[in-house]
Amino acid sequence: MIQENQDNFNPFDPTGILKTIRDANMETWSKMMIESVNTDAYARVTAEMLDAWLSNSAPFRKAIEAAMTKALGNVNMPSRAEVISLAERLTNIEMRLDDMEAKLDESLRAPRKNGAASKHRSRGEEGSK
Amino acid sequence: MTTTEMRTPTLAELSAELLKIYEKSKTFNRLVTTDAKIAQTPKTLVWTLNKAKLYRYVPVVPEEQRHKLPLLMVFAIMNRPHVLDLRPGHSFVEYMLRHGYDLYLLDWGAPGPEDRNLQFDDYTLEYLPRVVRKIKALSGSERLNMLGWCLGALISTMYACLRPNDGLESLVLLTAPLDFTDKKSSGFIRWTSNQAFDPDRLVDAFGNMPGEMIDYGAKALKPVENFVGSYLNLWDNIDNPKVVESWHAMNTWVREIIPMAGGAYRQLVNEFYKENRLMTGKLVLRGEPVDLGQLKAKLLNVIAEGDHITPPCQSEGIMDRIGSQDKEVFRVRGGHIGIMAGSGAERTTWPHIENWLAARSH
Repeated sequence: MIQENQDNFNPFDPTGILKTIRDANMETWSKMMIESVNTDAYARVTAEMLDAWLSNSAPFRKAIEAAMTKALGNVNMPSRAEVISLAERLTNIEMRLDDMEAKLDESLRAPRKNGAASKHRSRGEEGSK
Repeated sequence: MTTTEMRTPTLAELSAELLKIYEKSKTFNRLVTTDAKIAQTPKTLVWTLNKAKLYRYVPVVPEEQRHKLPLLMVFAIMNRPHVLDLRPGHSFVEYMLRHGYDLYLLDWGAPGPEDRNLQFDDYTLEYLPRVVRKIKALSGSERLNMLGWCLGALISTMYACLRPNDGLESLVLLTAPLDFTDKKSSGFIRWTSNQAFDPDRLVDAFGNMPGEMIDYGAKALKPVENFVGSYLNLWDNIDNPKVVESWHAMNTWVREIIPMAGGAYRQLVNEFYKENRLMTGKLVLRGEPVDLGQLKAKLLNVIAEGDHITPPCQSEGIMDRIGSQDKEVFRVRGGHIGIMAGSGAERTTWPHIENWLAARSH
């Protein structure tokens, strides 16, 4: 049976039902959830859960890391730590190149600046003559 | 509910209804799982360092009509900056280009495992000064304006305090998290200030703070709106192309999750959220004390009144401490992102920022 009414409620449209429920409850639900996540109890519980998970997963993470490092070494491949170290060195090189570029820019701009300043000076002198 | 008529649906009506739902579901699925074209304004890559990239947008007005001072936009370090240039027709970047700005964007990029030790010290004193130098070289101007948003505003503020004579003329702060005095002002500060929460253990385990965890944290502040309401809103308006286009663009940006450098995350929680070092004058970056009194640049502090990530009290506290003579607080109705990317931004936030900067860009 289709029920037609003033607010076009259609029982065969699941989204329509959902919308009606939502409209009635959403704001209250939202306020309640915002209030509950904004409490010290929520903060403490989530922090403790996270802490427990980190503690429990640490031995597995370490075991996987050690096994992977060993496996990579066995096939003559660099470990994750070695690749990271290489990337860090590349970043340092990039910074030095950037410093050199800055100095080059500066030295290229200096003659222009000096030239402009001396032109300005000589014009001033000519003007005074 | 008033029943006016009861009748049996025909098979054709039922199948039409089902077909409609099926089509809506297909569109919904496409919108939720695909990316819209965002950040489309033409720009040129002018500088890179590690993952950081500096872009210069292609100007759209003749040089003689442009403002003299370039404007650098510094976004947060745990999101992509594309929200500043969300979609053609609704983009802060487009708006500022149309108003004659020589516009630069600093994209911090996504940190890799090798960047796990990056801190705010590095962003503020290693990267930002280089970016400023590059902009000066490219633009030929010894002065510039800066706009920082969220953690980008924090970095910009610290830079302005530490390098007051580096040519920074004006600083626009958007939803800047600076003052963490009130430990109960928002969910974030409650969670991170809790004694049981240990950022060091997280960073030791992951290296960088995973983007998924940051994303979950931000969404969990308003769980119903973010995990349910947003999708229901799309479903309701799926036949409205304007709403759909806007939702798709925003969702594309939201889905683009990046990690946060471990060192910076550790510092953010310990030195800012827990110890409030910037406001108490105890913050030291690379041996240099950060003194808010040294911030001399003209300052516009834009605060979102409905911000649940950076509540207004975290931004407004600096106004009495800074050394700027020319300073203004601009309060906007809206949330952390909505004030710049929402449908009303073009009528409220953007014109105010533009007018304020235009008067200070000669």
